[in-house]
Amino acid sequence: MTSLAALAKGHEFPAATFELTNDWTDAYIAAVEDEAVGRVGAEFVPPMAVAALSVRALLENASLPPGSLHAGQELAFSSAVRRGDRLTANAHIISRGERQGAVLMSIELDVDRGEDDVMTGRATIAFPADGGSL
Amino acid sequence: MTQQRTMTEAGTTLPVITKTITQEKINAYADAGGDHNPLHLDEAFAAETQFGGTIAHGLLVLAYISEMLTEAFGEAWLASGKLKIRFRAPARPGDTVTTSGSVISAEGGRIVCEIGCRNADGEVLIDGTAELRS
Repeated sequence: MTSLAALAKGHEFPAATFELTNDWTDAYIAAVEDEAVGRVGAEFVPPMAVAALSVRALLENASLPPGSLHAGQELAFSSAVRRGDRLTANAHIISRGERQGAVLMSIELDVDRGEDDVMTGRATIAFPADGGSL
Repeated sequence: MTQQRTMTEAGTTLPVITKTITQEKINAYADAGGDHNPLHLDEAFAAETQFGGTIAHGLLVLAYISEMLTEAFGEAWLASGKLKIRFRAPARPGDTVTTSGSVISAEGGRIVCEIGCRNADGEVLIDGTAELRS
């Protein structure tokens, strides 16, 4: 699998489609111990789950260099997501720079549910320029 | 609904969420999120990095802040939330993470909150802002 370290600014990741299955949603809610979303409605899925699944889809196409760090995150949700929703994530690298031995890369994410936009976001990650550790 | 109305005034403090990070929780998040970066899972690898041990995924800790916002604003957060944050320091196994948030403005149909979380030593792990439609 290609490493993110080998990808340049402008790289577009293949679109990834995924479903918010009950099993996966239950596993996610258990992992993050979210006790609030179920009180809003049993059908709802925490919005951060969309971010997590988008990252998961991205990592199926490019591996994170060992020692990568998540430096920053912007997210905007435009529609609540529910169990059973089928979503498509698109991602591309919008910037890549190097500073003090670290590569800083920003990846823009867009997630839709067919006609509806669900989430846009930008993740900034840092990883060692020389393949070592930060 | 009553709770959401009371959260629309500047100065209102959001509900506090407290979680204790464990390696088991990090492992569970890695499986759900598909992010098996050794920095989170491999003690020997992580010991050689600047962190000296494994750290939690940023999106796991950010999920606690999202839970706080869901608790405070319900479906409005799920359907219209925006986050802009920086990861300032890592959360480690054994850390107790406490979220914080307060409404800094509520005008023109938008609520803006200052948000963050700290460990038990008071170190800021995440800080930033959240917005949503009221």
